[in-house]
Amino acid sequence: MRRKVLRNVGVPVLSLVLLLFIWQAVIVVFHVQPYIAPRPMAAIRSVTGNWSALWPLVLGTIRETVYGFASGALLGLVLGSVMAKVPVLQRLVYPVLVLSQAVPTIALAAPLVLILGFGIGPKIVIVAWIVFFPVAVNVLDGLSHVDQDLVNLARVYGAPRWRTFLYVEVPASATPIFTGLKIGATYAVGGAIIGELFGSEGASLAIYQEHANTNFNTAAVYGTTMLMTAIGISWFLLVIGVETLATPWQRRSVARRYRWRR
Amino acid sequence: MGKTFGETAALAPVTLDVADGSFVAIVGPSGCGKSTLFNVIAGLLEPDEGEVRVGGHDVTGTTGHVGYMLQKDLLVPWRTVEDNITMAARLTRGVTPEDRAEARRVASGYGLGEFLRHYPSALSGGMRQRVALMRTLVTHQPLLLLDEPFGALDAQTRLEMQQWLLQVWRETGRTVLFITHDVDESIFLSDRILVMSPRPGRVVADLDNPLPRPRDLGTLIEPEFVTLKAQIMRLLHEGPS
Amino acid sequence: MKLSRVRVGAVAGSLILGTLALSGGGASAKAITQVTFAYDFPGPDFELVPLVVAQHRGYFARAGLHVKIVFPPNTSTTTQMLSVGTADIGMLTTSDMVIAVGAGAPVLSVANYSMHNNWGLFALPGTSLSASTLKSTLKGKRIFSYGDTWTESMLPFILRYAGLTTSQVKIVTDPTGYDLTFLLSHRVDFSTNTNNYELPGWAGSGKSGHLSELLGTKAGAPDVPIWTYAVTRAYANAHGATVKAFLSAVKKATVWAAANPAAAAGEFDMTYPKSGYSDAYNKLGWSLTVPILTNSSGQYFTQTSAQWTSLARALKGIKLITKVAAPSTYYTNKYQP
Repeated sequence: MRRKVLRNVGVPVLSLVLLLFIWQAVIVVFHVQPYIAPRPMAAIRSVTGNWSALWPLVLGTIRETVYGFASGALLGLVLGSVMAKVPVLQRLVYPVLVLSQAVPTIALAAPLVLILGFGIGPKIVIVAWIVFFPVAVNVLDGLSHVDQDLVNLARVYGAPRWRTFLYVEVPASATPIFTGLKIGATYAVGGAIIGELFGSEGASLAIYQEHANTNFNTAAVYGTTMLMTAIGISWFLLVIGVETLATPWQRRSVARRYRWRR
Repeated sequence: MGKTFGETAALAPVTLDVADGSFVAIVGPSGCGKSTLFNVIAGLLEPDEGEVRVGGHDVTGTTGHVGYMLQKDLLVPWRTVEDNITMAARLTRGVTPEDRAEARRVASGYGLGEFLRHYPSALSGGMRQRVALMRTLVTHQPLLLLDEPFGALDAQTRLEMQQWLLQVWRETGRTVLFITHDVDESIFLSDRILVMSPRPGRVVADLDNPLPRPRDLGTLIEPEFVTLKAQIMRLLHEGPS
Repeated sequence: MKLSRVRVGAVAGSLILGTLALSGGGASAKAITQVTFAYDFPGPDFELVPLVVAQHRGYFARAGLHVKIVFPPNTSTTTQMLSVGTADIGMLTTSDMVIAVGAGAPVLSVANYSMHNNWGLFALPGTSLSASTLKSTLKGKRIFSYGDTWTESMLPFILRYAGLTTSQVKIVTDPTGYDLTFLLSHRVDFSTNTNNYELPGWAGSGKSGHLSELLGTKAGAPDVPIWTYAVTRAYANAHGATVKAFLSAVKKATVWAAANPAAAAGEFDMTYPKSGYSDAYNKLGWSLTVPILTNSSGQYFTQTSAQWTSLARALKGIKLITKVAAPSTYYTNKYQP
């Protein structure tokens, strides 16, 4: 167990440290000027040294990501389920879904700001837009491939349709559903940042970086990029954590004993 | 209880009357409509004509009045053994503490008490079919339809399971309809054997099985066993005489 | 619209057309020196008129220069293009200049593009921007900013004039948008821009009436130049003659364009037909730029220590730079004709 943790956590951390070394080496060897690109430590220090100003911005981006992800995931679950159960709707809606993803996110942002203003609205819509598609597609896929014998068995038991859906079809689709959620989680933060860039009231992480860019504060530019990446990774890991908790049978032979379950 | 039904495309008109508490085996080649018959009885299919009556009630086209088991154990991998046994309750009225207590009792009674919190993936094929049968038993349906439940098991396990099934049947007194293409199995388990012809399935013979109970491995080499077997095999390969 | 990073229209097409047009006047007896000029904006607009005229009317050719105009991917990259050598001469805002020097970039301003600060706060017609009521007019309202350094430096003067702090207003930042769209759709209450861009934009919107305008200088902002021509020190030391020839040609072109604004705007339209701006917009814009090109003595280009010091002090006041450098760190007039 310890060796597994060491491998799963240690190796990525090690490769990250290696990356930082290479970065530092390039700056030093090629005499890169600080107004072109910063050293890794300068970038990191720009974040840690300005944390009190950055923390509210980080919270803002997290809020946009979470609300947008929740909305998108919910929409994807509902849409995917409806399409799985109503084939006519699937034929109608599926092409529209695909079309929606062909629209570049950047092209989406400008009209959204005009319609919804500079508040959190456009950011939530953009994130939801990005998230709902992989979730919907995977929910549809999962629900379409449930073992029909199992569904028939439920019918023989006399199960009403909604119970079959809830207790058989949805759990049977757990793997594809979480795949969709993980994909959505990876791209969610990027969507929030684009939304922020296209109009923020007051301060936001993207505008902070924008200011750093025009002010030649390359350390802060790189530092904020690292910060945004960290937020994205954390969110992804959170979703994986939820998956691990929700699907114990994929890793264990025996269920844990819970005190509330007699 | 009685059963009368007509035809569906895979099945020629069949009329069947089954006595309470009896064990009826149905033997026939693949594709002769045996499973279709079960699907009609279970209510998954509606017959083109005729009806299904269980305990005097017309249950044609409705579900929830039989126990049902397939060759696939169909245990849900995301639930423990205990939760799998209580599956029918969960899918109909919700699981009560009494359901859980009964599941534990049945599992312990048949030697799987230690595995209640295991996931199906940790169990062998034979153990899983046992759990599947327990799941079927706790539905308290008087009629059980078993469609080649031991077909996927190796010969040794199959023999164990057949003996175990007979024990369970003796203890619970349910009516069992048992599909198999294994002639030995059909004779070993049943009171009555229906032989079916290839598609469209038709009952070509309705044989009484006089072999005395309780049965054991010795029964397999009794002369009457062999005679019955020869008769059935002739029917299967040549058709009705 | 100048202060934002939006690329309007088919810039790619106009880029190719522009460089083709500008490379047309190359045949001359003297040896031709290649010069790459980086504009301060991702696409061509009417402030490029002096360079267009210099090429069109042969001033560059006669000075022995072949000038290629390039456009940066966003408004803050021109300095970096100069620093790494992708461009030889560039046009920057003076605020970017001061900050770049503060960050250690070896850039040097060689001539003022314009002389006066024509940046201001704008509102829809009928909005009063008089000093007496400014505090209540602005308090709690949404003010648009492109997020660039010039707006960042000037906005505090307006707020101080109104007796407000940044937390008492809502500053909406959108580097990618167009301020008038938001003003017209009431997504913001006030807009900020330079008037040579804002007024033609308003004229082009077809709305009646005049925008209410409060110039930054009226609110106490220093009347210093906004745009400047710049090179790296290394380039100036190595190619001083080229810089001189360049400025001399551009000056002649500027003088001519100031005297013949309509024709000059027309030459821009011909060179960049797909710039995304209408001919009327370019004509009005250039005519509004002409008055701010000269100082009180009627001079073009000439820089003063005072302009750089007062700008640097203003930037230090809002903590965009940490210290005010000596004026000679920022500029020199010695390459001007």
